[in-house]
Amino acid sequence: MREPVRDTRESPRFELRFSLTQGTFTVAPDLDISARAVALFGPSGSGKTSILEAVAGLRTPQEGRIAVRERVLFDSETHTNVAVRERHLGYVPQDLLLFPHLDVRQNITYAPPRRSDLDVPNLTHLLGLTPLMDRKVSGLSGGERQRVALARALHSGPDVLLLDEPLAAVDLARRRLILETLVTIRDDLGVPLIYVTHSPDEARAVADYAIVLEEGRVVAAGPPVDVLP
Amino acid sequence: MEREILDIAIFTTIAALAATIVMLPPGIALAWVLARHRFRGKAVVETLASLPLVMPPVATGLLLLWLVGRRGPVGRMLEPFGLEIVFTPVAVVLAMAIMGLPLLVRTARAGFEQVTRRYEQMAETLGARPWRVFTTITLPLASRNILAGALLGFTRALGEFGATIVVAGSIPGRTRTLAVGIYTYTETGQDARAAVLLVISVALAFGAALVANRLAHVD
Amino acid sequence: MTRHWAAVLVFVAAAGACASAQRQEVLVSAAASLADVMTQVARAYESRSGVRVTVNTGASNTLARQIIAGASVDVFISADETQMDSVRGEIVPGTRVDLLSNQLAIAVAADRPRTMRTARDLTDPAIKRIAMGDPAAVPAGVYAKAYLEKLGIWSQISARVVPSASVRVALAAVENGAADVAIVYKTDLASARRATLALAIPVSEGPRIVYPAAILRGGRHRDAAMRFLSWLRDAEASALFQAAGFIPLGRK
Repeated sequence: MREPVRDTRESPRFELRFSLTQGTFTVAPDLDISARAVALFGPSGSGKTSILEAVAGLRTPQEGRIAVRERVLFDSETHTNVAVRERHLGYVPQDLLLFPHLDVRQNITYAPPRRSDLDVPNLTHLLGLTPLMDRKVSGLSGGERQRVALARALHSGPDVLLLDEPLAAVDLARRRLILETLVTIRDDLGVPLIYVTHSPDEARAVADYAIVLEEGRVVAAGPPVDVLP
Repeated sequence: MEREILDIAIFTTIAALAATIVMLPPGIALAWVLARHRFRGKAVVETLASLPLVMPPVATGLLLLWLVGRRGPVGRMLEPFGLEIVFTPVAVVLAMAIMGLPLLVRTARAGFEQVTRRYEQMAETLGARPWRVFTTITLPLASRNILAGALLGFTRALGEFGATIVVAGSIPGRTRTLAVGIYTYTETGQDARAAVLLVISVALAFGAALVANRLAHVD
Repeated sequence: MTRHWAAVLVFVAAAGACASAQRQEVLVSAAASLADVMTQVARAYESRSGVRVTVNTGASNTLARQIIAGASVDVFISADETQMDSVRGEIVPGTRVDLLSNQLAIAVAADRPRTMRTARDLTDPAIKRIAMGDPAAVPAGVYAKAYLEKLGIWSQISARVVPSASVRVALAAVENGAADVAIVYKTDLASARRATLALAIPVSEGPRIVYPAAILRGGRHRDAAMRFLSWLRDAEASALFQAAGFIPLGRK
């Protein structure tokens, strides 16, 4: 496995300054960072998924600003709130949400490709999906499903890939393979990642920046080696 | 006699199919709106949509008759064009569609409610516009219920009597359906004919209800 | 959605309207009890005159509702005067005639036949259930009750009366043993196989039963309708009505 990238000079910029309250729970990150892969680390209920969903546009913060690679997605001051479908983000939720009535190919190609340099046969080959293209998604293994979800999120050529615990449903033997795939996506396809996890090992393996959350608050942020337990 | 009865069976089936096709667009739209939206007056719309189910069919027929009769609001609009609905096959289809609609709406609505919102959100993150989300995700995922609802509506349409006889009458070869035929033949002591129609309606309704129930229960 | 809906409606309505507007056609709304005989009568008239006669049948009160709502009916033949009265405003003045009459009859099951000398025999305690049209709504029931009241036995037997939705239902009750006797029209027994006549109430003694007919203002073919109604009172039609058990009232 390759070493995590340390050099951040050309890394994309993420601005996550907002406050999102749901019931009694508030998550309020205040970060302006440059990284190729950001790990959102913390125990269950610490607000990792809420941050991811706020970036994807599935939850609307009460106030603040979200910008990805210099593109403002949300800004309460200018009343900017880019529609979910126009955010150009590849979202892979924890339960994957593969469309059950579509086959693998139809799932992967659901989003029309946006970036001309993205090559579908290459993407499916890279993820080892070529022999599965005509299968129904219901018959796939956990690892296969995971890769289909990744391919589907990547197909449109997203500005960033949002991953919510991508290894949760994958057996140990497959984890390594998927982690390698994520590094390939990050480096060879050049798609930055925001990665939710509660495993420090995973965070270290893919991220060059880690945010540690506890009950909605950012308690530490910086290079994984410095902030992760 | 055979010919007349066969004609009635064929006409009823075609009219019920037409009614099903007619009720699908408004039925699906209504089911989706009720399943996915909250708005002022929703309870009223909900109640209106199930009214033909709980109202005496004859009352529904009288209401329709008032609406499309030459003196009613719809009838008055059509009259300058020489169009009349009462006593035509259109009236049969209309009565059937109105009576079948609540069953379609109820079943389809349950289908839409079962579709996880998150699948739709997922499609949105992939850049799909609302219409595409609806046609490629919501509709296919709810399709089994919609089909079951359409079949139930079709079954209801096949057996419709009260509203049909009021608004379409019982004209042999033009508006006489199985249910209306059974009534008319019974009223004139033609029990043998009524019995044949009865057997045909039982067979048709049984088949359609069987398929509808299978669709609704298998997940 | 509403546009689709309206478009489909207009299309099919146009198809229906075109089909019916082309030929000379008389639309007759006749009481359900006349359905069978009216079909024969209509066929006879068609082959004789070439004019098409379309017969719509239903309960007289339903037919009256349709007419009041503006259905373009040419001729209305009601099973009773009340329903004809209710469309009074729709009738072409001077066209209302008393077309037919009928006779009340007491029916019993064919496998338990009996004959009665008079309707007073209904007080026989062996008769547990008496089926008849609902005296509150069904014309035959109204007639029956009026007649039994006139005989002075209504209060004695009213507890044993089973009101039915129509005469046919009353007859069916006797046929399948749910009632011991039914008070029906004599014409209902013409086609009944499992019920038989116990007593025909003499016309002179029974209530005056009238099937009125009239030409309606909302009809599309008034002249043809006039000729048809006139023919209904002639010998050929009268013979057909008589064969079905009705009493043609003819011209007075």
